[in-house]
Amino acid sequence: MLKSVGPNFYTPFLSLFDQLVLGNCVLLVNLRRMRLEKCWFCSSTVYPGHGIKFVRNDAKIFRFCRSKCHKNFKMKRNPCKVKWTKAYRRLHGKDMTQDSTFEFERKRNRPERYDRNLAENTLKAIKKIDKIRSDRASDHIKNRLKTGKVQRQKEARKQLELGIHLVKASLALAQDSSLCLPKIKVNVSQAQTEENQPMEE
Amino acid sequence: MIQPQTHLNVADNSGARELVCIRIIGASNRRYAHICDIIVAVIKEIVLNTPLERSEVIIAIIVRTHKELKHDNGMIIRYDDNVAVVIDQEGNPKGTQIFGIVDETQFTMGKDTIANIKTSIRNADMNRKGTIQIGYLNKK
Repeated sequence: MLKSVGPNFYTPFLSLFDQLVLGNCVLLVNLRRMRLEKCWFCSSTVYPGHGIKFVRNDAKIFRFCRSKCHKNFKMKRNPCKVKWTKAYRRLHGKDMTQDSTFEFERKRNRPERYDRNLAENTLKAIKKIDKIRSDRASDHIKNRLKTGKVQRQKEARKQLELGIHLVKASLALAQDSSLCLPKIKVNVSQAQTEENQPMEE
Repeated sequence: MIQPQTHLNVADNSGARELVCIRIIGASNRRYAHICDIIVAVIKEIVLNTPLERSEVIIAIIVRTHKELKHDNGMIIRYDDNVAVVIDQEGNPKGTQIFGIVDETQFTMGKDTIANIKTSIRNADMNRKGTIQIGYLNKK
C-alpha cells in the first residue's frame, strides 16, 4: 500500500501527491512536476502559471500560452496557415528547421538525481547551446534575405538608369556622365562653428 | 459552471446516461458547481437493464466541466464536456468503472471531496484513455 518513493520511481503522469515514509508516519507531499511546455498553436514556451490547458475527450492535451492562441484554436484555425506561428515559419522555410542544436532539447521523463556538478555544467551548456542556436537561426534568416537584397539593389540601379533625367539635367549628364546623384560640397570651417553657438541658444 | 438545468453526461457504468442538475450541494444559494462539487440531479436517460430508472433523483459528483478550473498554482484546465459520476449519500460511487479522462489531481487538490471516490480514483489504474476500475469494490 505504501509506495516507496525514490527519485527514479516517479510516474510520468498526473500523480500530484507522493507518499513519503518518514519513520512510522506517512506524509502526503505536494511535489509539483514543473515543466516548460510548448504552446500548441504558436510553439512558444508556456511557463508554469501561464496559459490554459485544454483536455479533449480523446485525451489529447492542448496547451496554450495565452488567450490569443486559445482563441485562434477555438476558431479552428490551422497554425500551419497562420503566419506568425512557428509552425508556419518552419513549414515555409522562414526559420531554421534542422540543426544539431535541436538534439539537446528533448523531453526527458526521468528526473535526474541532483548532482551539483551536473547541474552547473548543464546551466553553462544551456547558455552556450542557446547562443549557438540563435546565431545559426539568425544566419539562416540573413542568408534567406540576401537574395532579396541583391534583387532590390539591381532594381534600384535600373530605376536610376531610366529616371536619371529627374536627377540630373541632360546637359549636366553630358558633361559628367556618372550615373549617380550629384555631390554637393559644403565647406565647414572651425571658426564658424564656434560663432554659431550663441545663435543656436 | 454547472447550474440547475444543466445537462451532464455520465462517466460511469451506474446505468445513467444523462443527468439534469437540480441543485448544487453546499451553501443555500450557491450558483455554480465546478469539478469536485456535488450536485443533486435527475436522470434523463438511462442504459437499459440497470438498477437506475429514468426521472430518479440521485446525487452526483462533477468530474469534467467545459468551464475552466483554476488551480491555486495558476494552472487552468478545461475539458470538452460536462460530465458527472453518480454517487450515493455516503459518497460511494454507484458504478464500478469510470470512463474517460479524470484528472485525479482535481480530487486531491485540497477541496472537500467524497473520501471514497477520492481514494479509489487515486489508487485506480488510470491509463487516461479507457476506464478506471474502482479498486476498493474489488470488481474487475
